[in-house]
Amino acid sequence: MAARINQENFEAEVLKAELPVLADFYSDSCVPCKRLSPLLAEVEEENAESLKVVKINVNFDTELAEKYEVQAAPTLILFKNGEEIDRLIGSVKKTEIIELINK
Amino acid sequence: MYDIIIIGSGPAGLSAAVYASRAELNTLVIEKEYQGTGQIAESERVENYLGLYGESGFDLGEKFREHALSLGARFTDGEVTSISKEEAFYKVSLSDSTDIETKAIIYAAGAKPKRLNIEGENKYSGCGVSYCAICDGAFYKDKIVAVVGGGDTALSDALLLSKTSKLVYVIHRRNELRANKALQTAANQKENIRFILNAVPVEITGDKKVQSVKLLRNNVLEELDVNGVFVAVGTAPESGLLKGIAELDGNGYIVAGEDCVTSAEGIFAAGDVRTKQLRQVITAAADGAVAVHSAENYLLELSR
Repeated sequence: MAARINQENFEAEVLKAELPVLADFYSDSCVPCKRLSPLLAEVEEENAESLKVVKINVNFDTELAEKYEVQAAPTLILFKNGEEIDRLIGSVKKTEIIELINK
Repeated sequence: MYDIIIIGSGPAGLSAAVYASRAELNTLVIEKEYQGTGQIAESERVENYLGLYGESGFDLGEKFREHALSLGARFTDGEVTSISKEEAFYKVSLSDSTDIETKAIIYAAGAKPKRLNIEGENKYSGCGVSYCAICDGAFYKDKIVAVVGGGDTALSDALLLSKTSKLVYVIHRRNELRANKALQTAANQKENIRFILNAVPVEITGDKKVQSVKLLRNNVLEELDVNGVFVAVGTAPESGLLKGIAELDGNGYIVAGEDCVTSAEGIFAAGDVRTKQLRQVITAAADGAVAVHSAENYLLELSR
C-alpha cells in the first residue's frame, strides 16, 4: 500500500528518495480518486523494485498542493531526484500511468 | 460474435447486464471508465431508490455492479470510437483499435457535464476550471470561487464550497434559480454566498492560474476576481456515436419510446441518453430491463 505523505516528511520521502516517486494528490470523497486507487495499487505492485508510490491528501496538505500548483484531484506527479518530470491530471487509464512512469 | 454489446456501465447498463446474463445471452459490457458505475457515483446520497434508501450513490453503484458480476456479466474497459452496420450485425470499434462484432447493441452511455463553451474554459480546465466541486473544492480554501448554474447541483456545490472558501459567487443566467427550495433557503442563509443573477459568463481569464471571470450582467460587461470557476450547468447526452445511425432529438437525446427501440434496427437506447420524461436511477434501471427484452425479441426475429 502506498504510504500517505504530508508536509513534514515530503522532502525526505519524495524529494530525497532514491527511487522515482509517483505522488498521487487526492481529495476526500472524490470518486475519480477512488477509481484510481486500485489501478495505482496494481502499478505499485508491478513496479515494486523500481518505483515508490505515495499519496497526499489535499484536504489536509493544502500547502503541498499549492507549492506544486495542483488544482484538480486526482493529479499524479512523477518525481525523479527531487524534480518533477511530468504529471497527469484527472481520470486516467492504466496505460497512461505506465507511460508516465517510464518517462 | 456477441448477442448483445452493452455500451455504458451506469445503472441502465448494469441493469441490462443483469437481465442479459440471466437470459444467458452472450453479452459484453464496454465501459469507458475502469470499474465505473456512471453518474450515480457522484451523488452524495440517494434517497429515492426503492428499498435501498439513504445510501451514497457510490455504494449503490457498487452494489449494482456486484449484482451484475455475481451473475457472470463480463466487462471490458475501452472507449468506443465508432459503430458501423455490417450485413446482419454491428461492428463496434474501440480506441485501442480492436473491433468487436455483435448482433445487437444496448446503448446506455448516459450523459456528461455540459461545458460553458467560452474563451479560457479549455485552457484552465483542471487548473482553475472544475466540473466536480467535491473533488476540487479543497484547492480553494480561503479563496474566491464562482459557481456557474442555478440548479440543484450548482447550489449543492456552492454550499459545499462555502464551508472552506472565503467567498462563493453563484452566477446564473436567469433572474430566478431552478434549484429546490430547501437548497435555496440554505444558500440564502450563508453570508459568504453571493448571487449574481441575469448574468452570462463570457470569458475566463488569468495567467498561469485563473484570475477572473468576465460576464454580461443585464447586458453590461463586468469582471469578477475569482481564483476558480466551478461549472454546474447541467448535463448533455453522450450520443455522438449514434449521429447518422439513429434518430436524435434537438437536444441530442436518442429518440426511443418506453420499449427502448431506436430508429436503427438492432440498437436499443437505455437510461439518461434516451428521450424520456424523468431521468432517475430507477427509470434507468427499468430501461436496462426493457432494452434486454426488446433486444431478445429482435434476436429471435434475426434467427428465424
